[in-house]
Amino acid sequence: MKPRTTTAGRSRRRTPVEWRVAAAAAAALLLPACSQTAPAAPDSRSIAPGSIVQGQGPGPGQGTAEADSVPEPTATPAAPALVPAAVPVRPATPQAAAAAVPVPTTLTVAGTSINMVVVPVGVAAGAAMELPEAFDQAGWYRFGPAPGAASGTAVIAGHIDTTSDRAPFSQLKTLAAGTAIEVGRREAPTLTYRVVSVELMAKDSFDGDSLFRRAGPHELKVVTCGGRWLDERMDYSDNVIVTAVLD
Amino acid sequence: MRRSIFTAGVGAAAMAAAIALAGPAQAAEGDAQLSVLHGVPGLTVDVWVNGDRTLDDFTPGSLAGPLALPPGAYELAITASDAADASAPAIGPVTVTLAANGNYTAVANLDAAGKPTANLFTNDVSRIPAGKGKLTVRHTAAAPAVDVLAGGAAVVSNLANPSEQSLTLDPGTISAAVAATGTTAPVIGPADVTVSEGTHTIVYAWGSLTDKNLQLAVQTIDGLHSAPGSVPGARDGSSENVASAGSLPAGVSAGQIVAMVGFGALALVLLLGGIGMARTIAELREG
Repeated sequence: MKPRTTTAGRSRRRTPVEWRVAAAAAAALLLPACSQTAPAAPDSRSIAPGSIVQGQGPGPGQGTAEADSVPEPTATPAAPALVPAAVPVRPATPQAAAAAVPVPTTLTVAGTSINMVVVPVGVAAGAAMELPEAFDQAGWYRFGPAPGAASGTAVIAGHIDTTSDRAPFSQLKTLAAGTAIEVGRREAPTLTYRVVSVELMAKDSFDGDSLFRRAGPHELKVVTCGGRWLDERMDYSDNVIVTAVLD
Repeated sequence: MRRSIFTAGVGAAAMAAAIALAGPAQAAEGDAQLSVLHGVPGLTVDVWVNGDRTLDDFTPGSLAGPLALPPGAYELAITASDAADASAPAIGPVTVTLAANGNYTAVANLDAAGKPTANLFTNDVSRIPAGKGKLTVRHTAAAPAVDVLAGGAAVVSNLANPSEQSLTLDPGTISAAVAATGTTAPVIGPADVTVSEGTHTIVYAWGSLTDKNLQLAVQTIDGLHSAPGSVPGARDGSSENVASAGSLPAGVSAGQIVAMVGFGALALVLLLGGIGMARTIAELREG
């Protein structure tokens, strides 16, 4: 009895060391992983064009409707009411860009160590959202609405891990409803959002039009990876999406 | 008035505008979108659709619409701005057919030789890749073929009236100039043209080279953006690996606990055994 127990105890004590070594080795091997593989993941790419094709039918109509409303948000609703039969006419000169909404600069989440610098980002290879390399930075999708915009979703995303450890955004999946998220902005007051939901969205069925929505009620979407790590894909199975609304 | 639109023959294509029929922009499912650009210098006109005056005192360089129109055929005509009806049009009447969900711009313009005419362009409203903008250049001026230069380099070459060329490019502001094909001396510009992400920016060269009134008109169709195809929020699975590693110590602890329980049990057995032996010895001694 004694020797058997001792042996079992030793072998179990040794196991984690081996696993840690294996994990470290795996981490070393996987260095370039998600930031390169995810955008190249055939699944996400094949899905994106698919959704585009599906959206093509209603797309033009919506697009044109937005074209009407965006350049002159105040005039358009008023004009038909005042002069029902009037055709909108304007000089065909370049229109002044809509007043820019202040750029987000920081993101902090109450009750966590998330205190990130936020930088504007665009689109990387493979139509993936660009993300900052630095583990303590998050990216704001600058082509979509900004925090504090009148409508649409402001998307801020960051890595869940560094090349060797967890990044602050690994805490996103545990946020409780009502958690305060503060977004600092350049030359504008800080905004406070409250978490309303934390969801997983499978990368296999990534719904970009929903996440990067430009119309409809304003929300903040804080995004990272989550779910299971898929070795064969060198990527996580899901995105963690925190949805928050202005306090 | 030498170039009066009223003396022009009917152009090859169409002139359009409409709204009296459909009422203001209450877009219904499947409606076509029609914009109208006035690109004939020096003339103010009225535009008629199916006999109804829909654009009154329409001035050069103006862009009307977009109007939401049910798909179908429309009769279009252009008259003097003081015409009582459309019975004596300068252009038209012509019939144009607008497809469901189609997006069009009808342009009254000069042809390459300087005669007023009209063209109906179909606007590409397909979705633009995420992070990109689309630029289309249309030659609707009384001028020979041109190149469009951006930053001094030709991005559109040998564009003739009434043709168009499109580019998909990174959003930003372009310093655009128009020069005779094969040359770089601007006949228009340079002028700043902003191409926004998810927006189709359509630039028209209009006017007359001879009359030295060439200029640019700009139309934008936004809302054509695409969403990114993914959010690559992981670097290497470290979080997962750490999580696995994190769960292992728990397993180890359990193992250690088992071991400790084992040792404890062993100690207990030994202790009890010891007691038992002591008792046995004591009994033996007593015995």
